[in-house]
Amino acid sequence: MRANVALGRTCFRLYSTFSRDYRAAIHEANPGINAFVSVSDKIPSKDGPLQGTAIAVKDNICTSSMKTTCSSAMLENFTSPFDATVVKLLQQAGADIIGKTNCDEFGMGSMNTHSVHGPVINPFRPKEKRSAGGSSGGSAAAVAAGMCDAALATDTGGSIRLPASYCGISGLKPSYGLISRWGVVSYADSLDCVGVMAKTVPEVKRVFDVLNVHDAQDPTSVPTQTRLDARRIVEEDLDSGSWSGKGSLDGLTIGVPQEYFPSELSSFITHSVRKLLVSLQHLGARVVPVSLPSTSYALSAYYVLASAEASSNLARYDGIQYGLRVPPPPGADTTKTSKVYANTRSKGFGEEVKKRVLLGTYALTADAFDNYFLQALQVRQLVREDFDRVFRYPNLLGRLHQDLDVVEPHAQTQVENENTTLHGVGQGRVDVLIHPSAIRTAPPLTFGLDKEVKGSSLDSYVQDVLTVPASLAGLPALSVPVISSPPENVKHQTREENEEKGGWPIGASIVGQWGCDELVLRVGRAVEEIGRIS
Amino acid sequence: MPRLLLDSWQVVIGIETHAQIKSRLKLFSKAYTAHLDHSSNTRYNVFDASFPGTLPRLNRKCIDLALRAALALNCTVQKRSSFDRKHYFYSDQPVGYQITQHYAPFALNGRITLPKFDLPVRIKQIQLEQDTAKSTFNPRTKTSNIDLNRAGTGLLEIVTEPDLRSPEEAAEYVRTLQALLRAVGVSDGNMEAGSLRCDINVSINRPGEPPGTRCEIKNLNSIKYMVAAIKHEIDRQKAILTSNDGLRQVPQETRGFDQDRWETFKLRSKEDAPDYRYMPDPNLGVLIIEKARIEETKSNLPVLPSETRARLLTQYKGLTENNVDILLNLDANRELNYDGDEAIVDGQATLGAVAYFEELCRPARNPKVVINWMTQNLLGQLSSLELAFSSHQIPASRFGELIDLVTSGQLTRPTGKLLLKHMLTNDIPVVTSVKELAQELDMLLVPSSKSTSTALFASSEDDALHQICLRAIDALPSEIAAIKAGNSNVMNKVIGWVMRESKGKADVKRVREIINSSIQEIG
Repeated sequence: MRANVALGRTCFRLYSTFSRDYRAAIHEANPGINAFVSVSDKIPSKDGPLQGTAIAVKDNICTSSMKTTCSSAMLENFTSPFDATVVKLLQQAGADIIGKTNCDEFGMGSMNTHSVHGPVINPFRPKEKRSAGGSSGGSAAAVAAGMCDAALATDTGGSIRLPASYCGISGLKPSYGLISRWGVVSYADSLDCVGVMAKTVPEVKRVFDVLNVHDAQDPTSVPTQTRLDARRIVEEDLDSGSWSGKGSLDGLTIGVPQEYFPSELSSFITHSVRKLLVSLQHLGARVVPVSLPSTSYALSAYYVLASAEASSNLARYDGIQYGLRVPPPPGADTTKTSKVYANTRSKGFGEEVKKRVLLGTYALTADAFDNYFLQALQVRQLVREDFDRVFRYPNLLGRLHQDLDVVEPHAQTQVENENTTLHGVGQGRVDVLIHPSAIRTAPPLTFGLDKEVKGSSLDSYVQDVLTVPASLAGLPALSVPVISSPPENVKHQTREENEEKGGWPIGASIVGQWGCDELVLRVGRAVEEIGRIS
Repeated sequence: MPRLLLDSWQVVIGIETHAQIKSRLKLFSKAYTAHLDHSSNTRYNVFDASFPGTLPRLNRKCIDLALRAALALNCTVQKRSSFDRKHYFYSDQPVGYQITQHYAPFALNGRITLPKFDLPVRIKQIQLEQDTAKSTFNPRTKTSNIDLNRAGTGLLEIVTEPDLRSPEEAAEYVRTLQALLRAVGVSDGNMEAGSLRCDINVSINRPGEPPGTRCEIKNLNSIKYMVAAIKHEIDRQKAILTSNDGLRQVPQETRGFDQDRWETFKLRSKEDAPDYRYMPDPNLGVLIIEKARIEETKSNLPVLPSETRARLLTQYKGLTENNVDILLNLDANRELNYDGDEAIVDGQATLGAVAYFEELCRPARNPKVVINWMTQNLLGQLSSLELAFSSHQIPASRFGELIDLVTSGQLTRPTGKLLLKHMLTNDIPVVTSVKELAQELDMLLVPSSKSTSTALFASSEDDALHQICLRAIDALPSEIAAIKAGNSNVMNKVIGWVMRESKGKADVKRVREIINSSIQEIG
């Protein structure tokens, strides 16, 4: 203990040296990785729990000192007049906001290829030109390449967990509503979460703890009391001895959802996750199969809801108040405002964003609303119920309805839980779920391109199958690297299987009940330790 | 007003009113709400300008005021209501959508009674929504200017059932609604300033037949225009339905009102109606109003104009309906405070006209006398001084003292008016009583032995009055002769002369007595 404190002091004294080292690393490595799109030259000297910690910030989170482009031509020269709450919190804690990171445009994409700044190269072996994942590819690559200590990112349907998995780092998407979204450029408000990426779980936690506070500027920010309630329920449970969480995993029940092992899943990954589960059993955890039957509908529901919200949130980019403006060409039809805006919007948005805005616009039209949007809301509720059935902890988010602060939209799809007490227990028996974070390792940057020519780009969406259910339910999900272990007796090697070779990183996701972020981080730490020991 | 027009068409009118909520801050942002006289683009913040990363935060004060309005309109406040985004691209809507309550409005099923017609009008629903920015088009330069001052101000949309049957009823509905909203402190309801706007739905049909196709006339900003627009619309629809050719069917349309041509014109047909792509707002969730909050608002609800009217008429004998209307109108036109706060001036709550009147009547003053002093003297003098009525112009206690001095005969009515003017235009120390003030100004009546108890001590003053009267008799011989001849009307002229000489201090009754007895003495 004493040694740690002494070490800490040394670190603090050297922080500016580290900050300078990171800047040198960025200078050297970034051109080949393309993780950073802005680098700050201001090194702060403020005391605090994150003093000397260099943190990169995804470029869809507002900073007043650097541009916030969202990787879009629309905002290529946009600097926000204010700092996001998360940025302020980090600064107050003494962190060095070292720069802004590349991402898919407005967070839409799984490969970080839809960016006005160009794609991010996975730093694991840059020569192979593989994807860092998306949409937070820049944040993941910056951490993995040693260009910062940690990175802020956002996750709407997997945008933290997928890149974390591809780049071999830890990435936490916290419970919805724990971290403020004020100053985070909205893609789909009901799904967007700010999260943290770092090389180790304790490092993720150190940054997460600074950000995990109520913010009155975000109407979906969970009140302090609910945070305390959630924490108490988990801690009482841990203290009552079912699982000590220190070394041994006696008493911990891990659920393995069978729907998360689809046919598209690489055999490398299946095998690696199996081995991880066996290791966890050896440490005393009970591993049980569970079923989340609505999983197969989750992807479609996710794309309807996320696109609908995106079409709404991106309506503001019209070239009037800020951002790119493309004036109508001479002689153009300017009789309608929308026709004037169309010039800016056609030029400013990339293909993927346009695709989702159009899909979302359609889903909200009077003719389609009932069949798409409302159906998707119902599926979302089913997905939530699936999770609630397996966890042994109650879902506090579902019953959160404080005056003016209710989080869940659409009353008719919401389950009324007003009479149950906060101490109620969940319906299931599982502490956390563990499943693969992605169906494969980092794909080459060219992946899917040839298929897109043929008109089918579904493959890139299939990547999201394993991540969107936790987003729909607002649950905490942490991707942690696991040891890649090739399956024995592989006879027919497909191109994909060849790509899995060479120890490319694999991630496992730990998913908990809403508010059980602490528990998820503890299990994540145990998973990480297994990797370290072996 | 008959509920059927003379030529046997039935007119059916429904009204959607947008009333700006008189809150200090906007509905979802912490920017201050604006007046018309604020310079453009000075009252907005990053949220109102739709900057990326901004989020709405519901202003609780707006909910309090919406609750008052809903309860004053006898609506059922919904335990759960929610906010939706209404999408359309227009320069007055920087974010691309308006936050409103489409799927689950704030309150339903209310009712308001129009006192003039004793007519109940059903309120279908009340919803909260954002006002837009203001965009003005300059046809010369072909550019639009956008002013964000109004963007995001809270609006109450109040929708009636189609219960109105004539332009006059429609006008009366709007007036009654204005007075009600002002009385409960919810909205200025000022159509000229744009804080109250109306969309009117009009259709006509033959009695007994199903309702006709309605047309909606958008954005009427005065009662005068509204009446004209409805009248024009009735004539227009009648002409279509009675024409000899064509379908004889009114096409469903959205129409505007041309203030120069004094007629309605087509904005768009039903087919061109935009699809607003309503979506539940993912940030604002469900608004929950607990019963306790409704009860609390109910118990603190300011008294409604209809209740005050009825009470005043029964409680104060001699008060006419006209008197009551004057008082209620004064209160309706009172400068409203933000967030429904009480008006406080110099640390004291100000009284409205009704409360002021009642304060004056409290020490058993005659209501008839009080209302006459208020309406004939106080209001007249205030308006000639270009001042609005306020209890702080002259506190009720001091005005009461003045009235008492006149009623008790210590001050003549004309001097009383003069004193009132003096008090309204000068700073008078509170320690000085009104009587002391009158004394200082040498305004107190020359007392006469008969009319005041102080006569014994004031005989010298009575002598002075005698002297003036005698001078009058000398100065006006022909008038005196006329009186002697029996023409008593001429007496007024003589009295007038005495009044002038005595600077208005003489007691008319006493002067008459002195003159009469002197004439008799002279023989």
